[in-house]
Amino acid sequence: MANLNNRARAENTYDAIVVGSGITGGYAAKELTEKGLKVLVLERGRMVRHIEDYPTAQTNPWEAKYPKGKLPKAEMDAHYKVQQRTGYAVTEFSQHFFVKDDENPYTETQSFDWIRGHHVGGRSITWGRQTYRHSDLDFEANAKQGIGVDWPIRYADLAPWYDRVERFIGVSGQAEGLSQLPDGVFQPPMEMNCVEKAFKSSVEGKLGRRITIGRCAHLTAPTEEQLALGRGKCQSRNLCVRGCPFGAYFSSNAATLVAAERTGNLKIRANSIVTELIFDPKANNASGVRVLDEQTGETMEFHAAVIFLCASALSTAWILLNSKSRRFPNGFGNESDQVGRNVMDHHLGVGAIGEVPGYEDMYYSGRRPNGIYIPRFRNLGDAASARKDFVRGYGYQGGAGRQGWDRPVGGVGADRKAALSQPGPWMFRIGGFGEILPYADNRVTLNTSVKDKYGLPTLTFDVSIRENEKAMRKDMAAAAAEMLEAAGFKKIIAGDQGYSPGLGIHEMGTARMGRDPKTSVLNAHNQMHECRNVYITDGAAMTSAACVNPSLTYMALTARAAAHAVDAKTRGEL
Amino acid sequence: MLNRRDAALSFGALWTALVLPAGARAQTTPPLGWTPKAVTADQARTLDAVAEIMIPATSTPGARAAGVPQFVDRALATWCTPADAAALKAGLDQIDTDARASGGAAFAALPAAQQAALVSRYDADGKAFWRQLKELVTTGYFTSEPGATIALRYDPVPGDYRGCVPLKDIGRGWATS
Repeated sequence: MANLNNRARAENTYDAIVVGSGITGGYAAKELTEKGLKVLVLERGRMVRHIEDYPTAQTNPWEAKYPKGKLPKAEMDAHYKVQQRTGYAVTEFSQHFFVKDDENPYTETQSFDWIRGHHVGGRSITWGRQTYRHSDLDFEANAKQGIGVDWPIRYADLAPWYDRVERFIGVSGQAEGLSQLPDGVFQPPMEMNCVEKAFKSSVEGKLGRRITIGRCAHLTAPTEEQLALGRGKCQSRNLCVRGCPFGAYFSSNAATLVAAERTGNLKIRANSIVTELIFDPKANNASGVRVLDEQTGETMEFHAAVIFLCASALSTAWILLNSKSRRFPNGFGNESDQVGRNVMDHHLGVGAIGEVPGYEDMYYSGRRPNGIYIPRFRNLGDAASARKDFVRGYGYQGGAGRQGWDRPVGGVGADRKAALSQPGPWMFRIGGFGEILPYADNRVTLNTSVKDKYGLPTLTFDVSIRENEKAMRKDMAAAAAEMLEAAGFKKIIAGDQGYSPGLGIHEMGTARMGRDPKTSVLNAHNQMHECRNVYITDGAAMTSAACVNPSLTYMALTARAAAHAVDAKTRGEL
Repeated sequence: MLNRRDAALSFGALWTALVLPAGARAQTTPPLGWTPKAVTADQARTLDAVAEIMIPATSTPGARAAGVPQFVDRALATWCTPADAAALKAGLDQIDTDARASGGAAFAALPAAQQAALVSRYDADGKAFWRQLKELVTTGYFTSEPGATIALRYDPVPGDYRGCVPLKDIGRGWATS
């Protein structure tokens, strides 16, 4: 019996366990396996294999089951009550990459849009692919302003890891030499269309605000390494959310998991819900994780010297809060009581739209899966950009395009048909992405009275934006209108469509990095202060949100932490 | 994907039939050639006639050749809310009732001029059922293979993106964005 148990334990023991297979789980798996560790990746959802499990990737418009691929209202309301709040994400082409909300309940003390997918690759399949670096403006802000806690790292600590990640994932972009938006290792930028070029010239000339093409994780000139992984150049289909059969945008499935698999050191176990970390009082560390097999209902344990939590900010918080022991009665590594607090996102849904006169004889070819980017221009540290009404800042994403056949044209018959067969007027749209400050009482808590279908506790959300964000939103609308006016656009509508936390789908902050174990959960290397063999490198680690899309920073933190973990393990510290 | 030239050929006979000058005589009701799932045979004939008036065959195929009536029928069967579907079907019945009252025949059998007069009236009134029907017909047409590849331009795998191209080099609107 003892022998059998020993053998079972040996079979379930790895050098490292990675919880989650999304953008950071995949990255952790790649880095750890490449450094020779035997790695088990645990994914709560189903297996999704690159290309073969993208069932709608080649579906033509006329092959859609429903008009424009929109799901029937009854199905939306039954299964996607939360996921449909984005207004765009869930269609017949993408529904298999989003959770069914009726099977994944949570409680909203205040409205929170938790948009997610449970499957191998996670949201790295459905992400927006915009890829930006944080700057020292971001890393220093908390300390300078006395908000939250200080980041335990600075830009210089992360810069080489940004380089490393960008080189691997492939980022298309234009170097601009802006201190608030550091340049990176870029593949050739995508092109702006005629109207965007004119907008850039007007706004840069009249308002001094830089306009650049979006930096996005798409291959425009694949490297040898990327080609060897089976990835290819972006084909301008703009069907990314369905999964890319060309592997042209970065996802775990197309890139990191492929690289990890090729080392021979990777084992992926899908349908494996990690319910808790196991604390070993003798060793004073985490000995492994407890897993509920989603298909068999069996509970099992897996063991490893190093554990990476990459389940996404909120699910990682859930695992920690659900991992109670004598050592950690309030949740794993949570003596600071910071786990689940400081929930941040990027607030959006405010900007401007306008009609562009002229350019009727110009068009474009191909569907660019990217837009323009307007880097932050407020509160940059100089007097000219300083605002009295809010701290921090925002950037805009958007662009120009001609209206299509689904625009309103009156009448019926041959004239209307002919009109709709031609492109409509040029429209221009920009929407802001604003920084949300870390507020200790913006938090998720474990709800033991509402259980999911596995009988597991759920989360309760109590998150809201405050005065700083509200003041920023007013400026986001006004500054957007100002730019469209400067460009000479007409029928400008600027405004705030409203925003609920979560809608940015950039959840972060629930197990923040910091210098002091009393006020933070992770140290400068993403190790838990209270349990050094547990690393957390998903959005939970973020000490502040900045205003740029965060995935690149998560990946850079992951790569840096993985190197640290392997070194520490080699030195016998873990 | 259907080759553009093949599509043009396969729909050619239908356009020829449809671009013949519309007489003032009552039309013989064409056989449907498909089995409705959501609507009755009478409603299907009305739908077929209305769809073709909304998006007629011109130098490119019309709604009928693009299978739009079937598209609308399928949407009514599987996609619309029950209330919307009921309203739209009642609307089709109303069209027939109005046709009989004003012209003494089912809508599909009315002379083209009388059909056009009724359609202008519905379009001016802009009732909910009409707006929804028009939207479904428009979507059905421009997402159909002939609509997307002949009336519009469709390129499933563009390869490069070019930001500033003269419209005359493209010729038509893109089917997808």
